[in-house]
Amino acid sequence: MENPGLFTAIHRPGDKSPSQVDFVVRTPADLVRIQRQEAAEICNVFGMSMAHATMMLRTMRWNREKLIERYIDDAERVLRDAGIADIETDAARPTVLPLRHQLCEICFSNEPNVPMYALACDHAFCVECYNEYLSHKIQDEGLSARIQCPGTRCPNVVDEPSVEMLAHPVDYVKFQRLLLRSFVDENQVMKWCPAPGCEYAVECHTPQSALDSTVPTVKCRCGHEFCFGCGYANHQPCICNLTQLWLRKCMDDSETSTWISVNTKECSRCRSIIEKNGGCNHMTCRKCSYEFCWVCMGPWAEHGRTWYHCNRYGEQSSQAARDSQEKSRSSLKRYLHYYNRYANHEQSARLDHQLYLKTEKRMESMQQKSDLSWIEVQFLRDAVDTLVECRMTLKWTYALAFYLEPGNLTTLFEDNQCDLEMATEQLSGLLERPLERKSIPALRQQILDKTAYVASRRQILLDDTAEGLADGRWRFNMSLIN
Amino acid sequence: MYTKPSATALKRLMKEYKELTVNAPDGITAGPISEDNFFEWEALIMGPDDTPYEGGVFTATITFPHDYPLNPPEMRFTCPMFHPNVYENGVVCISILHPPGDDPNMYESSSERWSPVQSVEKILLSVVSMIAEPNDESGANIDACKVWRDNREEFNRIVRDNVRKTLEL
Repeated sequence: MENPGLFTAIHRPGDKSPSQVDFVVRTPADLVRIQRQEAAEICNVFGMSMAHATMMLRTMRWNREKLIERYIDDAERVLRDAGIADIETDAARPTVLPLRHQLCEICFSNEPNVPMYALACDHAFCVECYNEYLSHKIQDEGLSARIQCPGTRCPNVVDEPSVEMLAHPVDYVKFQRLLLRSFVDENQVMKWCPAPGCEYAVECHTPQSALDSTVPTVKCRCGHEFCFGCGYANHQPCICNLTQLWLRKCMDDSETSTWISVNTKECSRCRSIIEKNGGCNHMTCRKCSYEFCWVCMGPWAEHGRTWYHCNRYGEQSSQAARDSQEKSRSSLKRYLHYYNRYANHEQSARLDHQLYLKTEKRMESMQQKSDLSWIEVQFLRDAVDTLVECRMTLKWTYALAFYLEPGNLTTLFEDNQCDLEMATEQLSGLLERPLERKSIPALRQQILDKTAYVASRRQILLDDTAEGLADGRWRFNMSLIN
Repeated sequence: MYTKPSATALKRLMKEYKELTVNAPDGITAGPISEDNFFEWEALIMGPDDTPYEGGVFTATITFPHDYPLNPPEMRFTCPMFHPNVYENGVVCISILHPPGDDPNMYESSSERWSPVQSVEKILLSVVSMIAEPNDESGANIDACKVWRDNREEFNRIVRDNVRKTLEL
């Protein structure tokens, strides 16, 4: 990730910088194993079946300590919440009821010798009706952990061994997949990697309540980096709340704002936004009936009889009108300033793919033009990796900067940002330089140096921002409470 | 999506019909409109005593889905029915008729909603008690809710007018 040369020098292995969080990537097999372990612990403590332990853990969102505490406090209530009718029954070995003459309330049939099944609550239904019922719940409603006994108002939950016995194998496979999904979804320290087609989950112990002071960025084994807090792609150093605000603002505002700034002016009196789509320069505001000149923005009355022609651009009253317009537009301009830089880096990052292809070619031609080996030209790829990372970071620094209150700290932040931006553009420039046989060794050295430099600038910026967040040093120009 | 009527659905509807013809609860009659199609029923409900609906006979259709009893049927009054829990198009809004998965109004716990052990008889009994005791917490007909809440006399008058209309007096 970061330039290895630089980092092994500064950080001992195992050390982490302020901008990093601990996390573990979990495979589906890991997840199954973890569920078993957690359930086994509960079994050991209370001596119940695995299926029952799992059901209780689910209602406590896999919080083992909470379950133990609650169970000791009020076991009956925990069992009721988990939908377990009788803890003494052996849920691991469900059996079909001995044949008896009983009405099934689903098909309303009471033919003798039809195999039936009941949970511990003794609501019996035909095995076939149960099968259809489960299929409907699993396939149509997407339920897994909380499929209730079909009996009227019966709160008991159909346990996993019963589903295995009663449901069609296809439904059972989906049931298991849904269970696994709910395990991660309900677990506060786990999240699925949002990359398309990725099957891994990430475990991270940063609580949701810490999201105003840290940006827990994790990297899945598939290579996708994302924020554990909100699931959005890596947005360091901007915190989740501001990221959401910024994205929403950009979605609503950026196009519209640009268009407004280019195509409209404001009425000098009531500030209504006006688009001039034809006609002369004598404007009459529809809202407040103020009459003004489109060219100089001054009051029309002063234009006397010089219709359709404005020669009063420099007059005091016109200037004052333009100044006040300028002021009201400044917040818009400020937003566009940050947005344009944000969008610029995003655009550049979107061209990643082409840059990688181009670099691939350059690495080949560098090998042909110099006596460097394949291994020795790998530095180009590292440089591109670093470049892309820096652009992503820079992109989000603009979103963060938009919400920062002006002040000394903000000035420092902007200096860091400026440094990183300059160095990043220089690196980008170096990567574009034409390859000439005799300048290659010098260029290689320059790129290596610059890569190491920008990587360290990036880390400094991230660490400084992270420390600032942890200490509550940053002042934002809006409240973070949603 | 059209799904083939399941054998369970047909078998069960026939059972329910038989049961209802043999011993129907007071004030309720229901059965298929035609013996060729067991998935479309007609029901007659007598207005409960001591309510403004008293003396009225209300007609409704019940339409069953092909995966009945896994999913609930839809019930729709085919006569003028001014009631807080009946939409203006006649569709009955009552928790027992809502599919168990979604709760459009966020009021009901899933145990109050549809489950395969409910039946036409239980639905009709619920509708009778709904007629007697409207639930203005999750209204379907907002006008009816408002009148029922603010001006009970006016509400009773509108209902009695409707009753007279259904009886063609």
